[in-house]
Amino acid sequence: MTHTKTFGILFAAIATLILLTVISLLWGQYPIDFATFMGYIDFKLFGGVGNDTYTLLDNIILQIRLPRILLAILIGASLAVSGAAFQAMFVNPLVSPGILGVLAGASFGAALGMLVSEQWYIVQALSFIFGFMAVAIAVLIGSMVTNSRSTIMLVLGGVISGSLFTALLSVIKYVADPYSTLPAIVYWLMGSLTMADLSGVLYVSIPMILSILGMIVLSKYFDLLSLGDEEAKALGVNVPLIRFSVIILATLASSLSVVMAGMIGWVGLIIPHIIRMAVGPSHRLLIPLSAIIGAIFLLLADSISRLAFSVEIPIGILTSLIGIPIFIIVLKNARAAWN
Amino acid sequence: MELNSIINIKDLHFAYSKNRILDGIDFNINHGEVISLLGPNGCGKSTLIRLILKLINFSHGEILINNKTIHNYSHKEIAQHIAYIPQYHNVPFNYTVLEMVMMGRISKLGFFATPSNKDREIAYESLKHIGIDNLSSRPFGQLSGGQKQMVLLARALTQEVNTFIMDEPVSGLDYGNQIRLLELISELSRQGYTFLKTTHYPDHALLVSSRVVVMNHGKIIANGKPHDVITTPMIQDVYGIGADLIEHGAHTRCLPIFNKGIQ
Repeated sequence: MTHTKTFGILFAAIATLILLTVISLLWGQYPIDFATFMGYIDFKLFGGVGNDTYTLLDNIILQIRLPRILLAILIGASLAVSGAAFQAMFVNPLVSPGILGVLAGASFGAALGMLVSEQWYIVQALSFIFGFMAVAIAVLIGSMVTNSRSTIMLVLGGVISGSLFTALLSVIKYVADPYSTLPAIVYWLMGSLTMADLSGVLYVSIPMILSILGMIVLSKYFDLLSLGDEEAKALGVNVPLIRFSVIILATLASSLSVVMAGMIGWVGLIIPHIIRMAVGPSHRLLIPLSAIIGAIFLLLADSISRLAFSVEIPIGILTSLIGIPIFIIVLKNARAAWN
Repeated sequence: MELNSIINIKDLHFAYSKNRILDGIDFNINHGEVISLLGPNGCGKSTLIRLILKLINFSHGEILINNKTIHNYSHKEIAQHIAYIPQYHNVPFNYTVLEMVMMGRISKLGFFATPSNKDREIAYESLKHIGIDNLSSRPFGQLSGGQKQMVLLARALTQEVNTFIMDEPVSGLDYGNQIRLLELISELSRQGYTFLKTTHYPDHALLVSSRVVVMNHGKIIANGKPHDVITTPMIQDVYGIGADLIEHGAHTRCLPIFNKGIQ
């Protein structure tokens, strides 16, 4: 694909994301019309005479909608990029943060953190550590039975690793205080963006954005790594360094998404497949485009969960309900895209 | 040490745990040669190739690339001297031919640099050089074995190096493509490229090589001009079958003797 075409696709995707972001800011139980919104932006940027409406908008936009929208964008981008990265690193189109057990491991780590400490950074650190342990266990189990790289054994390793941490998570739920900690853990795990507050989102956005950017920068190596270790080395790639760095970055990004909004499944698996079907498998476009399309997907899913029903459905449940039928279609059509 | 040698191997030993694979290999690759590496399965020729590419590490001995020990080379630096052409294979993601060939440029790029339009042009020129530029936008996975092998050869050309190492290049190719690939290797050799290729066919070694090296049980048992090395006793010794050497056209051909045909 030529540079012009690549940039064209990326530009169109970014424009769509910006448009959706603005619509999401305006749309809700209290609809804001565009003129009022522009007036508010003008007021925010250049000052002027404020009024009661702007105070209300401050509340609705800055306190409620903006943090939630930013979080949806960050998490959608993190999960989709991590999924595409894991698929390339393990040369396996069937893996994702969910399948490899990262989400389960990170959930266990975060729940453990909530149990033992009130410090936010401890929750994040434990989430990352156990997310990484989950990948390591999946890989270990996957390579124990067969020496060669086996697509299905790694998936099986991930299923086992995920089950292990889900079981450990149940232990935490069992010992957690049933009146305060337990409901908090259960609702957080279902996947929800409602808890987002602006300072928390901005704080977690730094490591998330850095991980995503790191993976985009390294994406030129992904094509080569998907040829297998020996061929990538012979072509001049420092395989252990790249593979280890990318697995760390992908684990970090997806673990942080768990800390912020619980288990949001399927995004990391289906978005890379959809993009591969649309623009081909070359990772130099696939990775940045996964970030943008993942963000769009989760923003849309969150808007549906917010607006479509009288009761808000946890977004993790919604992404599963949307993701599963899409994945079945993808599986049926994807063979052409990954042999 | 010869001045024009690209790779020098001295007293090379290699073992997997206690299983000896290579047992004192001495051999040079000189500029402009086409070397065929012959030997039965398990004789150590694939291991030798992987050692030269630093895909595995040896226990004893020395490999020099351009008179510098291989230990001082990173994979990137080796790729700037030697291009490896593996047996054609399937890839899990269906890249286009041009994307596949562009991957040969990675050793020319800085750590953070992305491939430019110039790299794209070089990749396209390599396809043209091999005569398969019409395939450039086809998905690699849908090509025939012969076409895949040609694409991997084009990828090696984009590395802009003079030395190619090929692992059983004709394996899995149909009858016609085997010969076409051998002719292509001859053609590239005339243009100044150096080749080290492993092969299972003494006949192919007679057709396209300036030197033949025969390995058995981890040792080099013969090393010299094709006609001097490929002899009836050598084939009897290494492969355990009889063979006739026949003058045919401009070439000597090697035909195995077959005793139990269907009447």
